[in-house]
Amino acid sequence: MTSTDDLIHSLASTAGTQRSASFPAALAITGAASLACALLLLFSVIGIRQDFADMAVRMPFAFKVVYAGALVMGASVIALYAATPGAAATALYALSPAVILLACGAIFDPTGFPIMGRTSTAVAICMGRILFLSLPAMILTFVFMRKAAPTQPLFAGAVIGMLSASLGALAYTLACRNDGTAFVAIWYAMSCAIMAAVGAMIAHRVLRW
Amino acid sequence: MTVEEREQRWTEAMRAERRGDAVAYERMLKEVATALRRSLVPRLARVGLGVHEAEDLVQETIIGLHSKRHSWDPARPFLPWLHAIARYKLIDFTRQRRRDTRRRVDLPLDDWLEMADPSADAATRSTWEMDRHLAVLPVGQRKIVRAIAVEGASVRSVAQELATSEGVVRMTLHRAISRLLAAANPTPAIEPLSRNAHDKHR
Repeated sequence: MTSTDDLIHSLASTAGTQRSASFPAALAITGAASLACALLLLFSVIGIRQDFADMAVRMPFAFKVVYAGALVMGASVIALYAATPGAAATALYALSPAVILLACGAIFDPTGFPIMGRTSTAVAICMGRILFLSLPAMILTFVFMRKAAPTQPLFAGAVIGMLSASLGALAYTLACRNDGTAFVAIWYAMSCAIMAAVGAMIAHRVLRW
Repeated sequence: MTVEEREQRWTEAMRAERRGDAVAYERMLKEVATALRRSLVPRLARVGLGVHEAEDLVQETIIGLHSKRHSWDPARPFLPWLHAIARYKLIDFTRQRRRDTRRRVDLPLDDWLEMADPSADAATRSTWEMDRHLAVLPVGQRKIVRAIAVEGASVRSVAQELATSEGVVRMTLHRAISRLLAAANPTPAIEPLSRNAHDKHR
């Protein structure tokens, strides 16, 4: 038992050297930086949609932005929950706006565009680009989570993956050529699911402490 | 002491830590260690782990509490925060033990070939022997023993390299040596039949 007491003594001697960390502020900065990186990638590699000015004032674009924004907000709140030991699980409800939008967009699609997009490769291109745009967010949010204290690494990794993909999707709204709300609702969510799986897979290596 | 009293006492001590009060913080860590020990020893005994392992886990949990104390918000209750950390460390610890056990009884291709072709010269044999002895230790302890006892690094440089304090390194080394001694002198008569005893007779 003496070695434990020695350990405690040496730990206690560093009392007062750490301040309370504000995780919401840290995550907000991380998210803003991730979105900036994603937009940079979008402008330099993909480019915005040609008829952007015309499209930006119509309903499908608004749906895309609101939906991706709801995903970002929900995933952010849940990421804060995953980052803090002993936080209340009511944070999980933060995802409900996105779920409602997903259901409404998929069921009551007013545009009538096909679910698989206008061309046969639309789904692969859309999801591939969202995943590509979410890569910088993936790195930055993992850095955030490592500094926090996730006590469920697998869950924390999945949430981070989802947050990254939703940030990627938010940036991608400027370039997305498919206006069907069902298409957007389903395939943006699918990108989040893929990235969540990736995050969960690497979490147990990266997030151990 | 009721839960409310304990919550209030430890919350007070955590706030004192933020102000740099090392004495109150040390007293609280000792109380937490005692409480953890009382809860973990019977829990680990149920899966065949001894007091030794329980103490390792108590230390891991204390280190975790200390290194993540910035994630505790003074406005929020302390006990749920500590519970989440203790539970995470317990799960991580048992998972790590399982992996260690699997690795120790593993039959890698090299060993398999060696068995079929026993012509390895004495030099490679001696390093191989040492590796085999050190394999009794968990990964973290092995790294430190190798750096200090085999490569001759100083405690300070090892502590810097692993980004922890010298106290932690010394303590880990101490723990590793007692474990190596225990592995070198098996005492079957007084050891209870446990997974721990099985490891020692390997």
